[in-house]
This record gives sequence, C-alpha cells and structure tokens, in this order.
Amino acid sequence: MEILHSLLYGFSVGLQPANILFCFIGVLIGTLVGVLPGIGPVGAISILLPTTFHMSPVSAIIMLAGIYYGAMYGGSTTSILVNIPGEAASVVTCLDGYQMARKGRAGPALGIAAFGSFIAGTLGLIGLMIFAAPLAEFGLRFGPPEYFAVILLGLTLITHLSQGSVIKAIIMGAFGIILSCVGLDHIQASPRMTFNLIQLWDGIDLVPIAMGLFGIAEILSNIEKTTAPEILKTKIKNLFPTVLDWMQAKGAILRGSVLGFFLGILPGGGAVIASFFSYSLEKKISKEPSKFGNGAIEGVAGPESANNAATAGAFVPFLTLGIPPNILMALLFGALVIHGIRPGPFLLKDHPDIFWGLISSMYIGNGMLLVLNLPLIPIWVQVLKVPYRILFPVILLFCVIGSYSINNKSFDVLIMVIFGVVGYLFRKFDYEGAPLLLAFVLGPLLELNLRQSLILSKGNFSIFFTRPISAAATSLAIIIFILPLFSYFIKKKKA
Amino acid sequence: MNSRDQISGLFWLGISIFVCLESSRVGIGTFHSPGPGFLPFWAGVVLGTFAIILIVTNILKKQKENEITNLWKGVEWSKVILVFASLFIYTTLFTKVGYLITTFGLMAVLFSVVERRKIWIQGVTALITALVTYFVFYKWLGVQLPKGILGF
Repeated sequence: MEILHSLLYGFSVGLQPANILFCFIGVLIGTLVGVLPGIGPVGAISILLPTTFHMSPVSAIIMLAGIYYGAMYGGSTTSILVNIPGEAASVVTCLDGYQMARKGRAGPALGIAAFGSFIAGTLGLIGLMIFAAPLAEFGLRFGPPEYFAVILLGLTLITHLSQGSVIKAIIMGAFGIILSCVGLDHIQASPRMTFNLIQLWDGIDLVPIAMGLFGIAEILSNIEKTTAPEILKTKIKNLFPTVLDWMQAKGAILRGSVLGFFLGILPGGGAVIASFFSYSLEKKISKEPSKFGNGAIEGVAGPESANNAATAGAFVPFLTLGIPPNILMALLFGALVIHGIRPGPFLLKDHPDIFWGLISSMYIGNGMLLVLNLPLIPIWVQVLKVPYRILFPVILLFCVIGSYSINNKSFDVLIMVIFGVVGYLFRKFDYEGAPLLLAFVLGPLLELNLRQSLILSKGNFSIFFTRPISAAATSLAIIIFILPLFSYFIKKKKA
Repeated sequence: MNSRDQISGLFWLGISIFVCLESSRVGIGTFHSPGPGFLPFWAGVVLGTFAIILIVTNILKKQKENEITNLWKGVEWSKVILVFASLFIYTTLFTKVGYLITTFGLMAVLFSVVERRKIWIQGVTALITALVTYFVFYKWLGVQLPKGILGF
C-alpha cells in the first residue's frame, strides 16, 4: 500500500508539464540515438549532460534516463533493417531480426521488439519498486568498509564480465582509478599528477573523458571504414504481430524480462549481457533450436525484452546503494552529483521526488516509446538514410560544444580530443573503455572509503573481513578475481 | 616487437612506473594513516603487475603475423589523422579566433573527409551549420561560446 502511495506521489512529480516534456525529449533522443549507428546512449548522455546543468535535478535525471531506455527501443530498428546494431545491446537482435526482415517479416519483428520492450520495461519497473525500499534500508547499515567492499566487488565483476580480455579490463580499471586521482587530493589538497598545470587541480572532468572515449572514438573508428551500410529495401507492413507470433514469443518475453531485470542489477551485467543470456536461454530451451539464426521470433522477443528489463534493474543498486552497476548509470551518477545529490540509501528518504518521480516518468516514458516506435518507423528509416558525411561532423560539433560548456574552458575540449584518440587506439588494441570509465567514477568513493576504513581500524585490513557485509563482498571479490587463475592452471594441467 | 599486446603492455608498464614514482613523491603514507599517494600507488602496482602478465602471456603465445601493420591495413587511417589534426587545431584557435570562424573552418574540412563534393556546396553547408548552431546554442540555450579577437 505504501508503494502505491509513493507511486502516486511520483506521478504527481512525473506528470508536471515540464517533466513530461523532458521525458519526451529524452525518449525521442534516446530512440534516435538507438536508431543511428555511430553514436550510442553513452555518447548521447555525455553530450547532453551539460545541457542539464540548468534544469532541476528531477528533470535532468528524467531526461537522461529517457535517453538510456529509449536507446534500447531504438537499437532494434537498425538491427532488424540494416543488420547493424544501433547500440551494443541490440547486437543479438541482428541474428534473427534481420533474417525475419529478409523473409518479408520486418513488420512483425519490429512490432514484437517494441511490444516486448514495453512489457519488459513495465515488469522491470514493478521489480524496481518492490526491491528498492528494502535495499535502501539494507544500505543504511553500510559504513566505509561496506562501501569500499561493495565498490571493489562491483569493479571486479565489471572487469571479469567484460566481453574482451580480463587482463586488459583490469588494466583499464586500474588506469581509471589512477585518472580519478589526478588533481588535488580531497583530504590534504596535495597536487597529484597535475604536471604543474593549474587546469588539472580540479581533476579531469567526467564529461570530456566520456565524450572522447565513446563519442569521438566511435566516429574515428567509423570514418576509417571504407564501406557504408546498406539499408534493406523492403516494405514494412503488418507492424502488429499475429496471434501465432504472440503465442511463440510470450514465453520469451516473460523469461527475458525476469532474466534481464536480475542481470541488470549486477555490476558489469546490464543490457548487453542480458540480451546475450536471453538469446542463449531461448535457443537452449527451444524445441527447434535450428530455427535460431534463421528468423525465430523468440530470438528477437527474448533479447529485446531482456535489454529493457535490465535498464530498470540497473537503477536498483544505483538509486538505493549509490553504486552504478554500469557505465550509463555511472554517467547518471555523475549527473546527480553535479546537481549536489548523492544517490544512495538516503535518496529515498531525502529526495523522494527524485526517486518516485523518476520511476513514474519511466512508466510514462515506456508508453511514449511504444507510440513513438511503431508509427514512426518509416521516419526512422528515413533518418537512417542521412549520409554519414553530414552526420558525423554535426555530432563532433555537439561534442565540442558540450565539452566547452561545462566550464567554458577550451582545456576540456582538448581533453576530449585527446581521449578521443586514446579511445580510438583502445579499440585498435582491443581495450574496452567501460571498465575505465566506471573505475574513474567510482575512484573517489573507493579512495575515501578505503582511507576512512583504515583510519577507523588503525591500519588493520581485517576490518574488511570482520564486518559481515564487507566480509561477504570482499571475499566474493577475491574469489571472482582468483577464479580465472585457477581455471587457467587446471586447463594447463589437463593439456 | 610486432604484437599489439606487447607494445601496449610496455606502455602500461611505463605508466605504472611513472604513477608509482609520482605517488611516492606526494607521500604514500602508512596503512595507519594513508597519504594522498596511497591509492594511486597501489593502483599503479596493479597496473604494472597486469601489464607484465600481458607481456609474458603474449611472449608465450607463438606470434606469426605482424599485428601492428595489420591494424591499419585496408582502412582509411589518413581520414582519422585529418579529423584529429583538424580538431586539435580547432581547439587551440577556438577561444582566440572565436566560435563562428573556427567552426566554419572545421566543418568545411570535416564535410570533405568522407566524400568530396563541390567546394561551394561544402562551404555553404559549413556556414549554415556554424550559424545554426551559434543561434541555437549561444542565443537560444545561453551557452557561452567564445567570441575571439573579432568579437563574434
């Protein structure tokens, strides 16, 4: 009952005209970003982050969150029509979605992706409401050792669940922590790695790094390619799935929703992993696994539901414990901190308008997205036809303006350009930017809690093992860290 | 040295040595009382350790082809260099010359990167882009874009 009252309060915030407008802008931009290959939700949120500085914190988080889950809807369009994922969480949708389109079933593929996303998004929100309050209560028992241990666990998980090499992901995580230490030390104000540059005394800003690593680097990687993607020339009809389509897809949608929600909660989990897991699950339990990869509707419904449910799940640790489980949440974390609000167990108590306003806006946003995605598909197809030679300079310009507008300093633009090249080289050398950025965002929290814990315990590391929550989290982090080594040695012994 | 992992591993090893030295300079402190260099030092140690692991695991693998030259085979890397150089020059001139002129120049270059069109078309498109973004961001959204020595 209390949840319902809180949700009604949330709707009183979310249904304010300004917030409806920002929700609409967010989901529209998110869909557009999801449709357009070459820029993902991370790049879009990074670019638009400075524009939220003049908004209220509620409106800011509503808009930015709208971009996040809107991109999940939009990403399926290019996967199905062009066989190029609009963003990473829609990679798996290419496998069967494009095959359905080739067989003249683009409409039902797009339709089931949109409806599945809507159902999963709604179910995910219900999960968020149920889990949030108890987890926030649990979070009130956290002290510096618990925070340090959970952040360490989060960083360990994200490095081990990354798609590439674990060694490289750990290197990225360590480098991210080092970058977060640049500037004046928060406790003693000693300059660290500032190279006598006064511009670095406040450290490096999140926005230029994020824009550089994900926006500029993506563009540089795209312009070196010699071929342009071709859009499938097919008539898109019958956007509403048939009864048979629903019968085949309903199980996949429900399973994807549950799987996606819980995977979204895990640090390092998120929409990408959720979509892959869902596809694997559907293929495993299917009576006809051979139809996967040839236009199985479950291969579209499951992953698309999973990636949307995961976006709701990701808000659970972010809002209740103040720990962003993935890079997008890390950016939203940065956005709230810029507005002077610290996500965590006290957010529900001190800023219920932000918490419940956000949840209600996600209900509203999901409804908007269902309306936007289906009837506007012909428009999105036209947008896809905008030549990349026109699109990428405009995106670059937005990145420049976005970086400059943070502090009105060209130094931030220079940082963005440098990290753009760094991000491009990372891609060449197979390094992922996500562990770096997450570690960069969590680095200051990690350092503060580590130093406070050691001061509390007079330098005794056993503080992390004597308190139950931190003991569990630290032990789990160590096990996850060591596990790949064990399996490596076992494999070597067998060989 | 033709493996990208070996090269990147050496790079990270160099970074870790630098970070550890810098952290020692500002003061690592003790476990009782961690100093400002405490976390960066240990992060540097982790970075260096895994850089060495990366190099060693790569040496143990039998490397056949030259990975470094393959990275840029079949791709138009000159366009990447052109974009980077344009952005770098733009950033250095941005606040001195002003938003409009530098943005016009940058857009004129960038529009020609992927596909060359007639010069006047590129010029007009660049001018329109610079003007539209100036009005949207400076006049409408209130973003303080630099005016430069010419006052605009």
